Amino acid sequence: MTDYLKGNYKVDAKIEEPEADAPTSTDEFEKKALSRLGGSICFVSKKGFIWKGDAADGSGTKDR
Amino acid sequence: MPRMDLGRRIAERLAAATAERITRTGLDNEKENRPSIKHSVLDLAPLPLGEGDRAVVVATGPSLRRDHSIERLKRSGFTGAIIAVDSALGACLREGLVPDVVVTVDPDSARIVRWFGDPTLTEAPKDDYFRRQEMDPVNAYDEVARNKELVALVNARAAGVRVAAATAASSAVVKRCQAAGMELYWWNPMYDDYDKPDSISRALHRVNGLPCLNGGGNVGTAAWVLAHAVLGKRRVALVGMDFGYEPGTPYDKTQYYPEIVEEFGSRLDEVFIRVQHPVSGEVWLTDPPYYWFREVFFEMVGEADCETFNCTEGGILHGPGVKATTLEEFVNG
Repeated sequence: MTDYLKGNYKVDAKIEEPEADAPTSTDEFEKKALSRLGGSICFVSKKGFIWKGDAADGSGTKDR
Repeated sequence: MPRMDLGRRIAERLAAATAERITRTGLDNEKENRPSIKHSVLDLAPLPLGEGDRAVVVATGPSLRRDHSIERLKRSGFTGAIIAVDSALGACLREGLVPDVVVTVDPDSARIVRWFGDPTLTEAPKDDYFRRQEMDPVNAYDEVARNKELVALVNARAAGVRVAAATAASSAVVKRCQAAGMELYWWNPMYDDYDKPDSISRALHRVNGLPCLNGGGNVGTAAWVLAHAVLGKRRVALVGMDFGYEPGTPYDKTQYYPEIVEEFGSRLDEVFIRVQHPVSGEVWLTDPPYYWFREVFFEMVGEADCETFNCTEGGILHGPGVKATTLEEFVNG
């Protein structure tokens, strides 16, 4: 683009573009806050209520 | 940014944040607890825990005291199973109600044991959690004396009570339950997707053979899961399951206030969320963790093989799949 758009003037201010992948201050702020909030036990979405192991891999066969 | 967006945005990210925060401690606690594991929570299923297919889950939101739910439950002559969360044990015993099962999940090593009475407590801790929390406000004043009373009460009345204990529970809780003569029935928290090859839940199950329960983020939801998925109850009522604070509660009397104020400072109005009760019209205050519990509960209730009745007459847990009714209507229905 800069090959085609050329001004006939110069600006004094130096303009720096932010790096595309740099986290915003809001992201950082919320991430820090999240590390201190939450529940006392995990929730796993769409995996039912109870898992007793698979018979196939032998993990569900213990005597408990 | 519209007002309130921040609180809901945080709530949406709490599943991952919770797993990251508690998994390591939970797994360490499991190793320590392993020698104490004698019974699986599945061993509770054939026991005669209440008559019929009904259960009441007793949680400790503010409506429990406001609506005198424990007193009403006792007076009702309810004969089904009574499942209390750990923080409700003291309130139940003080009213002369001995639960059939007490559920404990939190891996914290200092706070949770207090719900059973901590015999080692000699002076008020610097942590003001028990003076500030809304779950059992008797601790707000002279918590050393209140703790001493609870130690005596649990020792006198809780022997033989079954405790459905997550393997993540701290050894302090386990030792306290054992010392009081309570019987421990164990389960693993479902930490992650057990179908993934590197699953923590799968690895844990291979080691100790225990079933993994999906806890829904908090002990109240875990107790509800236990009621229908383990005990096979088909009609489950909830009391004290508010997931919020009653109207007029100041921010500094909420559970996560120190963390929230430290991280968000003056943005408290954006972090806290307000939810109107559809029947009473009351506007309840809630915070991102409680709001997350609510959203998780609604996701889970749609898949549950039971009817769920919310008898709290308050709180923020109202919506599809949760039938609002009074405790008396549930008991007599």
